[in-house]
Amino acid sequence: MLKVLIVDDSLVIRAKMKGFLKKLGHSIVGEAKDGKEAVSLNEKLVPDLITMDISMPIMNGVDALKEILKTSNIEDTNIIMITANGQDGIVKDALKSGAKGYILKPVSECKLQDSIGKIFPEYHNDQSDVLDENELDDMLS
Amino acid sequence: MNDETEVIHTYTKDLLLPIVKRVKSYFEEEMKIDIFNTSEITSPKNIHLKKNTIMIGTSGSIKLIITLGYDDLLLSKLVEVFVNGDEIEDADVDEINNSVACEISNTIIGNAINNPVDKSDIYITPPVMVSEAKTLYKDKHSKFIYVSFVTKYGEIQLTAVGPKEQFEEKLDFKEI
Repeated sequence: MLKVLIVDDSLVIRAKMKGFLKKLGHSIVGEAKDGKEAVSLNEKLVPDLITMDISMPIMNGVDALKEILKTSNIEDTNIIMITANGQDGIVKDALKSGAKGYILKPVSECKLQDSIGKIFPEYHNDQSDVLDENELDDMLS
Repeated sequence: MNDETEVIHTYTKDLLLPIVKRVKSYFEEEMKIDIFNTSEITSPKNIHLKKNTIMIGTSGSIKLIITLGYDDLLLSKLVEVFVNGDEIEDADVDEINNSVACEISNTIIGNAINNPVDKSDIYITPPVMVSEAKTLYKDKHSKFIYVSFVTKYGEIQLTAVGPKEQFEEKLDFKEI
């Protein structure tokens, strides 16, 4: 069971993510409404995984990711970016900045499970259709 | 509302058609709500925004304000589908309605936005709810683009507002 911090400015998306993650057997240790709150909760809660929306007020998801990685070891920091905007540069920027995966909205339980499985093989789902950085590069080349 | 209909050029269509298509696919596939009719893309002189309208800006080489407006009954149906049977406290209704409308609009526009001009990335702002109906009047330097979609729960209104130059003919006209 993973300890998960959910970061999203949308109340309904936080509720949906909570439902999906609980169904997948994970524990929600905290919720943040913006990147700044995420940085502070990450220090306090030390989650195994963060699901991070990219487009948020106050501090966006990519800036929060960079801020978190200033004080955390990249190997132990597992962040899945959530975005509605699937343009190559935006996704690649997040992955290059240290995100371990991304999910294109709308989020579903299946997409979430696949993305978690890429980072934590013990939760791997064989029918994965979520791209990691190498697969994304292959697709784009 | 559509008191002036002009030819809409490829540039505009290349930008808006993916959004029009995504509105349809999102409603039909994700929300299971059929769209019975989609209007022509027109360029009116003014736009009367619906009470439940979400505004999203784009930045990068294309600067637009895109809005998606929903009739009340349709928004209630979207909330019902989105929360999937979860009970909503009376005190939370407005916040949930706002949040669902923002999320759906953000997903549709974010999924569909593309740059037909120079292929560079276009960034979108977080969505903002305009909670009261407003009429937008066109300045001589701006242009409005308008499309509506009809469902059995009411209408969805898609508009784009931007500097007139962004909509001028840059490529050969072609039909949708």
